[in-house]
Amino acid sequence: MSLFHFEFRKLLFNKKTVSLLVCLFILYSLIGFVTSMFLIGSGKSYSVYEELAAGYEGPLKEEKAVWAKEIYEEVSARYGTDTRMIARSVKDQPETMLALKYNEFTERVDEYWNGTPPESDEEPYGIALLEAKLSELEMEGKQNTFAYTKLSDSLKRLTALGEPEFANILLWENLFVNWGEHMMQFLLFIPLTFIIAPVFAVERSTGMDHLILSSGSGRRKIVTAKLLSILAASVTVTLIYVAATFIFGFLPHASLHGWDAAIQSVPTYARSMFGFRTWQLAVVGAVWLIFTGAVYSLIVGFVSSRMKSQMGAAGVSLAILFINVGLAAMGDAVTQRFKPLIDFGLANVTLIKEVFGGYKMFHVFGMCVSYPVMAVFVLGLIAVLAGFGIYHGQKSRTVV
Amino acid sequence: MELQFEKIEKSYQDKKVLKDISVTMGTGVYGLVGPNGAGKTTMIRIMADVLRPDKGRILYNGRDSHDVGDEYRAKIGYLPQDLGFYSDFTGRDYLEYSAALKGMEKAYAKKRIEELAYSVGLQEELRRHCSAYSGGMQRRLGIAQALIDNPEILILDEPTSGLDPFERIKFRNIISAYSKDRLVLLSTHIVSDVEQIASQIMMMEYGVIHHMHSSGEYVKMMAGKVWLVEMSAEELVEYQKQAVISNVAAKDGLMEVRVIAESMPADSAVQAVPNLEDAYLYIFHFLPERAGR
Repeated sequence: MSLFHFEFRKLLFNKKTVSLLVCLFILYSLIGFVTSMFLIGSGKSYSVYEELAAGYEGPLKEEKAVWAKEIYEEVSARYGTDTRMIARSVKDQPETMLALKYNEFTERVDEYWNGTPPESDEEPYGIALLEAKLSELEMEGKQNTFAYTKLSDSLKRLTALGEPEFANILLWENLFVNWGEHMMQFLLFIPLTFIIAPVFAVERSTGMDHLILSSGSGRRKIVTAKLLSILAASVTVTLIYVAATFIFGFLPHASLHGWDAAIQSVPTYARSMFGFRTWQLAVVGAVWLIFTGAVYSLIVGFVSSRMKSQMGAAGVSLAILFINVGLAAMGDAVTQRFKPLIDFGLANVTLIKEVFGGYKMFHVFGMCVSYPVMAVFVLGLIAVLAGFGIYHGQKSRTVV
Repeated sequence: MELQFEKIEKSYQDKKVLKDISVTMGTGVYGLVGPNGAGKTTMIRIMADVLRPDKGRILYNGRDSHDVGDEYRAKIGYLPQDLGFYSDFTGRDYLEYSAALKGMEKAYAKKRIEELAYSVGLQEELRRHCSAYSGGMQRRLGIAQALIDNPEILILDEPTSGLDPFERIKFRNIISAYSKDRLVLLSTHIVSDVEQIASQIMMMEYGVIHHMHSSGEYVKMMAGKVWLVEMSAEELVEYQKQAVISNVAAKDGLMEVRVIAESMPADSAVQAVPNLEDAYLYIFHFLPERAGR
């Protein structure tokens, strides 16, 4: 067997880790199943909702908007305006749920045309608002500025996307919540940390580094084998997460309804400037999770190469992850000060809703670069640095 | 093939563990003996390239081993003092992994594993997890991994610890047969391990190699310095406080005491035929005591 096979076996394909993977698969499946099964109450409610929603799909209809608004006002008078409270209160009431969703949709259409003042200066949204901001900049003679290029590009993309249309995307919305919220960072990245952390540290704790470091392949080839095994293990765990939440998210209702809807139909992605369909976003999201999972795993691998114990490596890696999450969760006053750290920190950059849910642009050497492209560049750089650091560390590593 | 230590120095914090070690080794078996803390393991680790010296270098056929890098390490077979194992590896996995680390071709590795398992008496045990092996079996597995790629330089740190007398004899025979055209460095506390098979024996203490001779030369050096004295058990209690004793045997109600001394220690003393163990005691106990160290 090649070194890679052994390293992969040590990391993932052994009794302990395979048992852990089975447990994770069950956990992920349960999460997919439970969140989907009780999406709007009992399983039957979703079937009714799907039938009712079929008559509402497509462009905004005025009379339906009026009907939805009336129901929303009635519900909010009874339960308040908190969306979570409302969602909990109208479970098993598919018609009310549809009205609420349609009302949300009418608001999104309004936002599409007019925006929702006060808008962020950096990321304004809405045709009218963008046009107004552009005119303002033109009046000031700032047509050659980054701000103008960015707003103009946003306007072009928004116009090309067209007015949002209503679609039943509940199951996809649930999938994107499972893939793109902070819960994912706990469910996927914490197990990844514990699986990857031993990759180098185990050699010290078992005393095997004597044999490895004194062998012909122990300084370079083994690092290549270990890096490949880190990537293979990371992809395997992420695929288990993606596959389990996908399959068991759609299985309870045996429906992929909404697969071809524009992602702007999903409330979280309403302001996305990307012209994806929901199935395309699912593919992009899965690839993004695999990519960011692999980069995080390389960071854990780097930490492991510098630590003597596996638990130490796991602890430091988790600290890195949670410092990022903690920073991102702080108020605007803090996040504005550490903006690049927040934008490209693990907390935000691993979430597909952050990267693909809006249209952030960065001004790099006179070029306008979109968030996903910039994120790929930054994460790629981090991965290369981690890999280089591991090679360099192993070259000069000693046993004491 | 020549391996040359050139003014090697190594310290841990303030403690100098190796002091200006310069020694040249060619093919053959080299024994490295000395008391605990002499610096043997540090010297072995530097030779195995798992530890870097603070000063000096090792020249492999005239080239700095550090520059030779992977090529130098590919020539090494190393049995460390503390051998590590993965808990879920069988004996076969362990040897296959060692072969993979050496970059050996799969079919050749398989053949070598069978040969070596037979040589070290583990052919029936390769399917078992090595964490379940006894200490002696783990040591034999370690010896097999060190030999797996027919290394040009074989470095063995305490290879016989945990082996029973029969296994030690078997091990010595393997190493003797193996050492032709190769360099074997064997570090040990057990003088008899190197007495018969080492062409040169280095005596090391406080990070310095004091002597490097053949076993015969050490024995010659001890001529007229080993004595047998008979005394009562009561006399022995007092006598051992002032003499370096290499052995005591009960004989006809008296004690026959083997004493290291440069002149006749008692009127009744008779000269004995010296061995390497006597030389060890002479160098590491008699001379330091006489020098007041």
